Amino acid sequence: MSEKIKVTINGKEILTTPDKTILQVAEENGIDIPHYCYHPGLPVAGNCRMCLVEVEGARKLQTACSTQVRDGMVVRTDTPQVKEAVRQVLEFMLINHPLDCPVCDQAGECGLQDYYMEYGQYDPKFIENKNKKSKKATPIGKYVILDQERCILCARCVRFTRFITKTEEIGIFNRGDHSEVDLFPGKELNNRYTGNLVDICPVGAMTCRDFRFKCRVWYLEEFDSICPGCSRGCNIKIYYNPHRPHKADGNRVLRFKPRFNPEVNRYWMCDDGRYGYKFIDENRIMYPLKGKEEVYLDEAINSFVSLLKESIPDRTFYLLSANSTNEELFATKKFFVDNYKLENIFLPDEDIFTGDRDDLLITEDKHPNTNGVKAIFNILYKDLIKLDELRELLEEKSISLLIVNRHELPEDVLDFIKENGIKLVYLGTNFNKTSKAADLVFPISVFAEKEGSFINVDKRFQKFSSRLEPLGVSMPEWVLFNRLSELMEFPVYYSSYMNIFKHMISEVGAFKNIDLNNINKYGVLVEL
Amino acid sequence: MSVEISVNLRKKIDEIKKKFPRDKSPILPLLHAFQDEFGYISVEIEEEVAKIVGVSPVYVREVSTFYSMFNNKPVGKYHIQVCGNISCWLRGYDEIVEYIKKKLGIEIGETTPDGKFTLSRVECLGMCDQAPVMQINGDFYGNLTPEKIDEILDNLE
Ligand code: SF4
Ligand code: SF4
Ligand code: FES
Repeated sequence: MSEKIKVTINGKEILTTPDKTILQVAEENGIDIPHYCYHPGLPVAGNCRMCLVEVEGARKLQTACSTQVRDGMVVRTDTPQVKEAVRQVLEFMLINHPLDCPVCDQAGECGLQDYYMEYGQYDPKFIENKNKKSKKATPIGKYVILDQERCILCARCVRFTRFITKTEEIGIFNRGDHSEVDLFPGKELNNRYTGNLVDICPVGAMTCRDFRFKCRVWYLEEFDSICPGCSRGCNIKIYYNPHRPHKADGNRVLRFKPRFNPEVNRYWMCDDGRYGYKFIDENRIMYPLKGKEEVYLDEAINSFVSLLKESIPDRTFYLLSANSTNEELFATKKFFVDNYKLENIFLPDEDIFTGDRDDLLITEDKHPNTNGVKAIFNILYKDLIKLDELRELLEEKSISLLIVNRHELPEDVLDFIKENGIKLVYLGTNFNKTSKAADLVFPISVFAEKEGSFINVDKRFQKFSSRLEPLGVSMPEWVLFNRLSELMEFPVYYSSYMNIFKHMISEVGAFKNIDLNNINKYGVLVEL
Repeated sequence: MSVEISVNLRKKIDEIKKKFPRDKSPILPLLHAFQDEFGYISVEIEEEVAKIVGVSPVYVREVSTFYSMFNNKPVGKYHIQVCGNISCWLRGYDEIVEYIKKKLGIEIGETTPDGKFTLSRVECLGMCDQAPVMQINGDFYGNLTPEKIDEILDNLE
């Protein structure tokens, strides 16, 4: 449907196509129409009546969310009649709404508060008692709390479980002012996307058990990022708390929310990814360790250089991580393959073939950047090594220096390393068994603390940036390799992120169709 | 828990299904058939009907709780349903319902201990011209007054 039609909204002439609704056309042109039940990711319901507008020639006000545009249509969203209608709809919605804002976690990002300030501000005429509903602050699943009194019955949650997850746990039962949103009796929320219910609920009826009461939303700041939970690479916003670090136990990052990308995750993200944010602030490696003692970075780097010089490439072994960014992998390749001439550089198959996937977003590879390793190291699935065969490999090649990026090594390998005096160097973000056994540990910044890029399961190259400072002296891997290169007297030396990024784009074959000056906000497909 | 479906009910279900071109359509008549058999619509019945028509139990429950002619829990021998919508309300619903409550000693939604009467407030019964009105099982009564209520209830066995 590319046929163009002309529509006038508030006197502004707009060229558009007839497959859209008034609300969509208005939004595309920066005209706000208040709405609750309409959500761009869900089928239209037309039940809240907030989006009433005047259409020339129509006897009554029309719902903008469910009325398609026609050629020559003249719409007004700003007349006194429209404003009065919206005000009255709002007044009806608030009849049974409790005065909960001071204790409601939605406050500050609540559709009722926002529209009340814009369209409401009336003297209430309602003198009857408010209806009580049966569930107040009741958990309905692992991550969601339901408060029926705050619900405005927009049915977004019902449609989400009916049409997106197709699990249908939620319905609106009873009738009139007795209507209640609820689970089917005896059931719990039983899908892996429940956090989205909290996002789409326009009011405080569904709030998040994980986030509730940790921080008022107006203290939060946000930036765009990519979820590292699996190879889907869902686009997200990271919310952090820069002003009141004493709240929430000093944790900086308090929540993830999905960010629209029509090519990847649309409006959604899964619960594993959403609530997997805690590793950003918990159990972090912040300073270099040498034999379990914190040391200055210089000392640790000097020790690493000595180990590299003592060992020879044939007896050195590097385990790559598919959690590293492309830029980090590129620097790793420069350092180890091109300059140190290492051949023993492998990606283990850990958490790649988990078999855990679904038809919506979740992929079985629980790393964000396996395709990045593929692009930069030309490693194919058949070249992956198995961690439980690592012991034999180390023995066979009589390895004397093992460098591990993030992986948790099996006990038998750790024992073998100890028994045979193999030197173990660990690069990672969080403590684990490997870091605890390592001779040298380098703190690496997490994805949320650095600029970088990942390639998702569909070969989509997606860039992200950060507004968080790395904890302690943790740093991106490429910064570490810079320092090492200097001391090893290798030629490669990158002065900045932009600098390494440009080199990477021009040198890696898979990235040849990426236009540096024009990287789409939804990512670019690369050739693998 | 699953529902025991008698031969008779099974026959009714098949007949109802035959009458409707689309699978989803017979939800209402099926609910009626089940209520005739069991007296009320339990959660298990909702699950059963959902299975028969191929929708989710939530979908059936949205229907069965919406209509006041379906009881979502067991009711007494006589189910008194008083209309509380605007015409009846303006014409004395409050007084009528208070009177019945006091007479039977139960609140709305409750059943007398002997299992004889259940009292409900329902939406419009479609007899606004005779407001206030109530329905007892299949019968309708209008222009209600306390005296009339005494007469009606006292004559029920
Ligand atoms: S719980 Fe929220 S999303 Fe669901 S119907 Fe109520 S207001 Fe809408
Ligand atoms: S599907 Fe994968 S990328 Fe998307 S939110 Fe879940 S874990 Fe993160
Ligand atoms: S947004 Fe149009 S009726 Fe709710």
